[in-house]
Amino acid sequence: MFYIQLTSCISPQESFGIISLDILHESVDNKLIANEPKYDAIPPNILRRMSKAVRMGVGAALPILQNKLMPDGIIISTVNGGKEDCVKFLKQISDYKEEMLSPLNFVNSMPNSISSQIGLITKNLGYNITHAQQGLAFEYSMIDASNLLFENPRRTYLLGAVDDISSYNYSFETKRGCYKKETISNISLYGSISDGSIAGEAACMFIVSGNQKDAIAKVSALDIFYHDDPSIVSDRLANFISKHLPEGEKIDLLITGENGDNRILKYYESCELKMKEEVSIVRFKHMCGEYQTSSSMGLWLCCQIFDAQYIPIHMLKRAAVTKKKYKNAILYNNYHGVQHSFTLVSMNY
Amino acid sequence: MKRVVITGLGIISSIGNSVSENRSSLREGICGISSLQMFPSKFSDIYPFGEIKISNETLINKLSVSEVGVTRTTLLALHAFIEAIADSNLNKEEISSSETALIGASTVGGMCLTDEMYNDSQSNTLGSSYLDSYDVGATNIYLQKRFSIGGPVNTINTACSSSANAIMYGARLINSGRVRRAIVGGFDSLAKFTINGFNALHILSNESCTPFDENRNGLNLGEGAAFLVLEKEEDVCGNKRIYASLSGYSNTNDSYHTSSLSENGDGPYKAMKEALDIAKLDPSLIDFINTHGTGTENNDVVESRAMIRLFQHVPAFTSTKANTGHTLGAAAAIEALYCILNLAEQEIYPHINFKTPISSTGLYPFQLYKKTALLHIMSNSFGFGGNCSSLIFSKA
Repeated sequence: MFYIQLTSCISPQESFGIISLDILHESVDNKLIANEPKYDAIPPNILRRMSKAVRMGVGAALPILQNKLMPDGIIISTVNGGKEDCVKFLKQISDYKEEMLSPLNFVNSMPNSISSQIGLITKNLGYNITHAQQGLAFEYSMIDASNLLFENPRRTYLLGAVDDISSYNYSFETKRGCYKKETISNISLYGSISDGSIAGEAACMFIVSGNQKDAIAKVSALDIFYHDDPSIVSDRLANFISKHLPEGEKIDLLITGENGDNRILKYYESCELKMKEEVSIVRFKHMCGEYQTSSSMGLWLCCQIFDAQYIPIHMLKRAAVTKKKYKNAILYNNYHGVQHSFTLVSMNY
Repeated sequence: MKRVVITGLGIISSIGNSVSENRSSLREGICGISSLQMFPSKFSDIYPFGEIKISNETLINKLSVSEVGVTRTTLLALHAFIEAIADSNLNKEEISSSETALIGASTVGGMCLTDEMYNDSQSNTLGSSYLDSYDVGATNIYLQKRFSIGGPVNTINTACSSSANAIMYGARLINSGRVRRAIVGGFDSLAKFTINGFNALHILSNESCTPFDENRNGLNLGEGAAFLVLEKEEDVCGNKRIYASLSGYSNTNDSYHTSSLSENGDGPYKAMKEALDIAKLDPSLIDFINTHGTGTENNDVVESRAMIRLFQHVPAFTSTKANTGHTLGAAAAIEALYCILNLAEQEIYPHINFKTPISSTGLYPFQLYKKTALLHIMSNSFGFGGNCSSLIFSKA
């Protein structure tokens, strides 16, 4: 599919600038809020007008677009991007009875406001798109990159995902039963047996290309599907591995989107049962919370694990019986029980 | 590259509830712009709209919708989707196959329920039955469930060029071998949200819009939905009709301003140029262009300049937004469908509401109905955020 050349991430953890993943920041009121940098690279007059999703997206993208790297296009996935401005504009309509409204919130109310701002600030006239399909938006953006690089492997794209917690989308999602009713800490997320997860946010950016040289990792296969039967899901995982893992290679890492939601645990457990004891199983939603494009955080962490050959202890659900190199990983994410994705990620070796 | 062809069409717009009604309205130069009747807005007496005069209740009954929380955007999409899959003779097995993708695009999505959405966004209210419906992906999820679509289901948002990118994404899924067929399109309904947004930008016309006219004074918002069935030519068997092929496409960004185009239309120029490169066509081989042509001061003059830059002789062109209004996320799919009709029927439909050319460019849109030989047609769509897309369709 494609190679990952560079990565960048603004998340609730120490993921931006000096990366220090052993430190685990705690959630407050069932929310893991992003640990935002000062955004020195964004001019202050522009920064002030940006919604949180836009500034996180632009802020995470700019460091890997430095050194005159002009990708051939910008591929963003987001579900909540634009929603903060959207609801501010709804509020204007309601408060001012459709009179004398300011258009700024309206113009920024679409999901494409992140990709277009990155394009505008970096003067990128190339491909520019936003994928917004619920819990699989990032996966469909990976397919987009893959299809474009299939046509021309020499190209380079900025591929990213951004979602934020605004008071508005938090209200929608709370009413839809996405979050726990009782307040818990992310530290005890996986011990919780109630319905729902905790809210989260992050912006993860990747420079991807068809060029293997100097790459961190290769995303070599992706499976997206909809089903509600855990045994069908785990069978599909076994098929996915046997179809796509090169002969002689073994899976050493399963990264799952387990999120403390009692309704969804059975899918993850069913897939874990397919993993031999030589596979380490890690989790990441206690670091970023649950949001629609969170599989991008799993992919970013996978790149970190490959790079450092080290797994922070708080991520580890089950260590492999014998320690060996982390080379091949499966990322399994599940959104609302029925939206599933498997991604095969391999270290560039 | 194998040819991707179009084997099914479905549409609903303010000028007709089917492909044949739309074609007949286009031939006769019908303007579907009228006063707003379906919901109250402060602006219902001030601005006219490309409104579909069918109530949600009628649509719900006609389409046998039994679920709660189905929005008008989804009802319009469903109406066009049913026509498209029937037109392409897709059976249940084909639709539920993992090799069939559904790629839709929308900008308004469930925000047509402007007041309900605002209430649900407040923490101190109880959730309404529409909680799962606001998201732009909700319409595709409804279609996926109702028709048991087995392959990829994605929603794309690039503002007013959204559905051109849905068409491109579907074509690339076929070209890369991920799927055998893709049902691609766009859908949007009129909403207090967008009416207020465009009003705040001062780009709504209080009369029927007059694209490419020197005295144009803004756009009319419209609503509608259109779907195309894309298949690999070699997979099309039996006596299925092939309407046209999709031969070129491009997506670029103007990188100039969030809500207006650069003076010389760098993004639009690049989109048209790259689409020609992909189609391996010289600009002189384009017989006709369905322009973005919104009727705003900025768009029409910039699009004219970009066409003049690219084409030694600007081909015959029209804007069907004078017929339908600007249907936002549905616009590119609706206009792609019109281009496909141009090719399939070998005819050009008249551009309406035009009097005086823009003085600085002097371009006249094509104002007659004409039967003529057409080989390659371009369709332009541009959107907020600088998103520009061009598609090229060729005779089957």
